Amino acid sequence: MAERVFITGMGLITAIGDNVMENLRSLRLQQHGMGHTRHINTIHKEVLPVAEVRHSTAQLAAIAGVPTVQGYTRTTLLGLIAMKEALQSAGLTETDTPSAGFINASTVGGMCDTEKVYFDIIDPEQHGEFLDYIDTLDCADCTQRIADETGIGAHIATISTACSSSANALMYGARLIKHGQLDIAICGGTEALTRFTINGFNSLKNIDKRHCKPFDLDRNGLNLGEGAAYLVLESESQVKRRGAKVLAELSGYCNANEAFHPTAPSPEGDGAYAAMKNALAMSGRTIADVQYVNVHGTATLNNDASEGKALLRLFGDKVPMFSSTKPFTGHTLAAAGGIEAIFSVLAIREQMVFPNLNFSDKMEEVDVTPETRLLEQFPVRNVLSNSFGFGGNNASLVISKYE
Amino acid sequence: MEALKLKLKEQIIEALNLQDTKPEDIDDNAPLFGEGLGLDSIDSLELMVLLERQYGIKVEDPREGRKILASVQSMAEFIQSKQPA
Amino acid sequence: MSKHRCYIQGSAAISAQPTFDGDFFSAPLTTTSANNLVAMEPDYKAFIPPNSLRRMSRMLKMGLTTALKAVQNSGQPSPDVIITGTGKGSLSDTEKFIRDIEAYKESALNPTPFIQSTYNSVNGLIALQQKSTGYNNTFVHRGFSFENALLDSLLQLAEGNVQRTLTGAFEEMTAEHFYIKSRIGFWKEATIGNAALFEHNTPGSISGEGSTFFLLGNDKTPHAEAVITGMKMLYKPSAEALNKALPQFLQKHDIQPGDIDLVITGRNGDINTDHYYRVLFSAHCPHTPEVPFKQLCGEHDTAGAFAVWLAAQILKRRALPAILQPYVSHLPKTFRRVLIYNHFIGEQHTFFLLERV
Repeated sequence: MAERVFITGMGLITAIGDNVMENLRSLRLQQHGMGHTRHINTIHKEVLPVAEVRHSTAQLAAIAGVPTVQGYTRTTLLGLIAMKEALQSAGLTETDTPSAGFINASTVGGMCDTEKVYFDIIDPEQHGEFLDYIDTLDCADCTQRIADETGIGAHIATISTACSSSANALMYGARLIKHGQLDIAICGGTEALTRFTINGFNSLKNIDKRHCKPFDLDRNGLNLGEGAAYLVLESESQVKRRGAKVLAELSGYCNANEAFHPTAPSPEGDGAYAAMKNALAMSGRTIADVQYVNVHGTATLNNDASEGKALLRLFGDKVPMFSSTKPFTGHTLAAAGGIEAIFSVLAIREQMVFPNLNFSDKMEEVDVTPETRLLEQFPVRNVLSNSFGFGGNNASLVISKYE
Repeated sequence: MEALKLKLKEQIIEALNLQDTKPEDIDDNAPLFGEGLGLDSIDSLELMVLLERQYGIKVEDPREGRKILASVQSMAEFIQSKQPA
Repeated sequence: MSKHRCYIQGSAAISAQPTFDGDFFSAPLTTTSANNLVAMEPDYKAFIPPNSLRRMSRMLKMGLTTALKAVQNSGQPSPDVIITGTGKGSLSDTEKFIRDIEAYKESALNPTPFIQSTYNSVNGLIALQQKSTGYNNTFVHRGFSFENALLDSLLQLAEGNVQRTLTGAFEEMTAEHFYIKSRIGFWKEATIGNAALFEHNTPGSISGEGSTFFLLGNDKTPHAEAVITGMKMLYKPSAEALNKALPQFLQKHDIQPGDIDLVITGRNGDINTDHYYRVLFSAHCPHTPEVPFKQLCGEHDTAGAFAVWLAAQILKRRALPAILQPYVSHLPKTFRRVLIYNHFIGEQHTFFLLERV
C-alpha cells in the first residue's frame, strides 16, 4: 500500500499578496492584481494588462533576505520568498531540509533578467556585471539557487511543460514520496513576467487588452501574471514521525496528453476530461464528492470552450461550483498549478469558494456558468484543480480535506 | 490583382516554408486551411504576420482573420480594399 | 525500485558519431578540429511527413526523429507514457525569438519560434505523432534532466500501470550559445578537437549535442538491448558523501565491485572536475576497465543519456566499440554488467547500473 501524501506547508507570492495570508485577504475582498507593468520595458506596457508583483527586484531581494541581487534573477527571488514561507509554515528548519527534495517548475527560467542584457552577453566588446547573469537563463538556475539558499539536498528537479508545469511538479513529488524515494518533497513553480513571454503570447493573439473574462461569451484572451508557490508534501509516516500539522491531502492526480495540436486544445476537451476523470478515480472520490473546481480558465477562446465541454462530459448536469482565479493573479504559467493548488487548500481550510471575476454572459457553445459570488461557510471537502498547457499537456489534481 | 495574387502566393510559400509547392499549384479560390493546402491555426497566425510585415495591415481579431485568410483570393481582395486606390 | 528490472526494448541515438544509422561498433572516431562536436543529422524526410517538417526547427526534428526510431527499433507499439529531459531545449528558437523581438520592435512576430522554444514542444510532437494520450512530462534540470525523466519512467513502470514508456533526451548547441558559455570558461581555451580531449591538462571541455531515446518496459521483448537495474542522483555531494554513495549504491543492488565488467565515466578533460572520477574509482574499483565517452558526443546537459545508450549497445553486442578499445589495457572478460558514473560541471552526479538481457 503506497503512502498517502499530505500537504503540510505552503508559501506564495503573487500580484495579490506577498504571502498566503495576504492572498487570502485579497481573494476575500475580491481585489484583483491587474495593472500595467512597472518593471518590464515593452511597447505593450500601457496596452496589455498584467498581474505583476508590485515590488522591484531589489525589494524582492530584501524580502527574500538575500544580501545582493547580483546573479539572483526575479524568478529566483520570487521562488525564494515563497519557499521560505512554505518551510516556515510546515515548521521545517535547516536540520530538516537536507533530507527534503525540491521539485520546481519554470517556463523560461531567468529570462526576465537575461533578456535585458542578452545583446551585451553575446557582444565580445561588452564586459561588466551582467556577466553574473550569464548562466541564469536556463530553468535549473533558479531551482539550484533556491535549494542552495535553503539547504535542500536530497533530490532536485525542474519541470517545464508550459502552463501545467507546477501541477506536474506536485505529481512527480507525490510519486517520489509514494515510492519511498523521499519523505518530504517541496513542489511548485516560479514565474516572472518577461518581455519574451508577453510577446510570445501576443504573437499567438491570445492576450486580452481588457481584464480577462474566463468562461464569458465575450472573452478574448488571457492576461499574464507572475508569482511563485510551493507546497510541502509529506508521507503519512513522516507526518506521524514529525508530528506535523496536516493542511490537506493530495489524494489524486493525473496528467494526460491530447495528442491533438501543438498549442490548441481539442474542441471536446479530451485531455481535460481524461485528466480530471483519472485524477478523481485515483483519489477514490466520485463526481458527487467534488464541491469546487478551480478551473484552468485562461479566458482564451479555445481553452474555456474545451474545458467547459470537459466539465459537462465528466459531471453531466451536476457540474459543481467552479471558478477561474486567473482574473485575480493573471496567468502565471509555470507557477499557476502551484498557486491554484494553494487556493484549493484555502477553499477547504476556509470553507470558501472564490468568485470568477469579470463574468457576465454564458458562452454560446457550452452551457456552463462559473460561480461569480464569494461563498463563505461553504462545505468544501474535495477540490479539483486544473492546469493545461501547450503540447496538449493536461494536468488535474484532487485536493481533499484531511480526515 | 493578378500580380498581387502571384506575389502573395510566393510570399505564402516562403513564409510557411512550403518547399515542394509552386505558385501555380495554389488555386486562387482553394481553401488554404484544412483540405486545400493543409494549413493549421499556427499558419494562420504566420499569415497574419505576413500581412502586417509586407502590407502594413494589422488583423486584430482571430475570428476576422479566419475569413480573410480563407483563400488567396480573399486575402488579395482584403489587401486591395485596405490599400489607397 | 531497488529490485525493479526495466528493459530497454529499443533505442536510438543521434550524436556526432554514426550512431543513428551507421556501423558505430567498427567505425573510426569522427573528429572535429573545433571545440564543438556537431551531431550527424539523418535524413528527416524518412521519418516526418513534409507538411509537419516544414515548420520544425533543428532540435524538434532531431528529437522527434530519434524518438520515432527508438519505437521502431523496439518493434513494440506506441508508448503509454512519454518523458524527456533537456537542459536547454530548442536554443535556436529561443535565440530567434529574442532577436525577433528586438529586430521587429515587438510587433508582427512569428509565433513559431516562441512555440518551439517551449521546453515540452518535442514531447507534444512525439505524442501527436504516436497518438500517445498518456502521461507526458519534460524535465529541464541540467545534468539531472534525462536522469529525472528516467527515474520518473522507472517508477511508473514499477507501479505497473503502464506497459511502455518512451524516455529520452535532446540537446543542441548553437554558435551563439557556444560563445556565451565560453565567456564563463566552459570550453578549453586552446582549440584541441575531440581526438585530443584527454591530452591537455587544462580547464574546460568541448561542447556537444545530440538526441537519445529509449523505449522502456517491464518485459523482455525480442529486441531488448539491456536492463536498467538502478540509478542514483547526487546533488553537489561532498567528497565524503560521494565516497560513501558508491559502495551504498552497489550494496543496495547486491553487487560487489568485482561484479562490474566495465565502467563508463563522464570524464571530459576538465582538470577542475575530472578528479571526481579518478578518486572514486581508484578507491572502489581500481581494477575494472574504464572508458570515457565525451570524446564521442561532447559535453552537454544530457550527455548521460548517451552514456546509457552506449552501455546498452555494449551489453547487447557483448563487445567494446573499436573506438573505445584504446582506452583499456585489457578487454573485459565478460559483458554482464556496466556501471556508469557521470557528472555535469561537478554539480549533478549520477550512477547508472545496467545489465545484459
